[in-house]
Amino acid sequence: MIYQTFTIFQKELSGYFKTPLAYFLISAYILISMFSTFYLGAFFVLNNTELFSFFFFQNDIFALLIPALTMRLWAEERRSGTMELLLTQPISYTSVVLGKFFSAWIFCFMLLCTTIPFWIFINIIYQLDNINILSSYIGCFLISGVFCAIGCCISAFNKGLVVAYICTLFLSLIISTVNFDFLIGQFNLSDDVSIRIIQSLNFSKHYNDMTGGQVGFDNIIYYFSMIALPLWLNILTIEYKKN
Amino acid sequence: MIEIKNLHKNFGRIKAIKNINLSLKQGEIITLLGPNGAGKTTFMRLLTGFIFPDSGEIKILNQNIEHNRIEALSHIGYVPENSPLYGDMTVFEYLKFIAKLHHLNDSVFIERCQNIIKTFSLSEVINQKIETLSKGFRHRVAISAALLSKPKILILDEPTEGLDPNQKHELREFIKTYGKNNLVIVSTHIMEEVEALSTRVILINKGKIIKDTTTDELKALSPSGSIDEAFRNITSNRSHQ
Repeated sequence: MIYQTFTIFQKELSGYFKTPLAYFLISAYILISMFSTFYLGAFFVLNNTELFSFFFFQNDIFALLIPALTMRLWAEERRSGTMELLLTQPISYTSVVLGKFFSAWIFCFMLLCTTIPFWIFINIIYQLDNINILSSYIGCFLISGVFCAIGCCISAFNKGLVVAYICTLFLSLIISTVNFDFLIGQFNLSDDVSIRIIQSLNFSKHYNDMTGGQVGFDNIIYYFSMIALPLWLNILTIEYKKN
Repeated sequence: MIEIKNLHKNFGRIKAIKNINLSLKQGEIITLLGPNGAGKTTFMRLLTGFIFPDSGEIKILNQNIEHNRIEALSHIGYVPENSPLYGDMTVFEYLKFIAKLHHLNDSVFIERCQNIIKTFSLSEVINQKIETLSKGFRHRVAISAALLSKPKILILDEPTEGLDPNQKHELREFIKTYGKNNLVIVSTHIMEEVEALSTRVILINKGKIIKDTTTDELKALSPSGSIDEAFRNITSNRSHQ
């Protein structure tokens, strides 16, 4: 299964670089990241020992760019008829879904890697908290995984690329911004356990923990659950469409 | 090689396949004949596990396609209608990709690839992108990929659609040779193809098998001895009923 997942992964990842999409996304990511860091994030005004100005916008930038990466994963297979070809090969659906997902996630890793020279350069100018920054990078990588998983799942539902893009963008933004704290007031919760459970559902809380330097087991578990759920739904969607 | 029992498939209120029972054996070249929308493609998709039946079962070499899909599919080479392929890959990359999905190691792949390139005259296009190939070459690439794993069952959905007469002849000759030791199922609505290939003809109309016969028996059903006429007689009678 791992070998076949890797085969699908290789095909999809190399597929990105056979079209202008990959180069467009890399350029767009670098431009938007740098614009948001230096202009919107007032990089030279704020205290940026943790590259706060840079990491503050990463959530939104990924929510904007990742749907363009994932929209074609299934929609294109459906449109070109290759879905029939792929799903009649002796491979499990899990392998196909994971292969496609990892290709998108590793592409996001590559996007993040393009900003490492920026990190190195700022290190020369300022005294940075590099452990904290590394933790923030891990946080960014994990949230990109969540958006990729959502994108894969949405793409399996849709034939149209634009619909897949808009739905993924919309859902990613909702998930990353929704704050469940209102439930505490709504149900007059006062015990510590309930409050902690409600707060732990907030996507932004985990990201803030990680940009604050706390990688934490609970944060990792949270993100991996958020990745696993859409992927599981993706597998179910494919099976459902067969029936 | 293939056992089908009480197969039913509906799409909403449309009954696409109705109670099909069949036993298909090694050494047969079976043509599925039927008018457009008869259920041929649905039947092939059921055989290859692309869709699952609502009821009934399909066993491929004793493996139930629903329960042991991967094992069953390892014996099947399938070329869907219009030969969908990944246009951004070169022919070699595509063959390698399919070989990897079938767990073929490099030495086996190279050996089989060489044979296939020779059989289907692909040497001049092996490093060419699939999207730049003519329809004839695309067909050949699709069939080559289906044959890489040396499947015991080859399923081809309208394989000669869009090919020129020479390409049709070559493909038919290949199918005849391959069908001697394996099971080949070809879907078509071209009568000439039925006559040129079949050891057994299965006529499907409105999701039902209306005739399971040989080419000669089918010819005998028309006064002029033509398959075309026999086909029209059978399918029009059925549609009036």
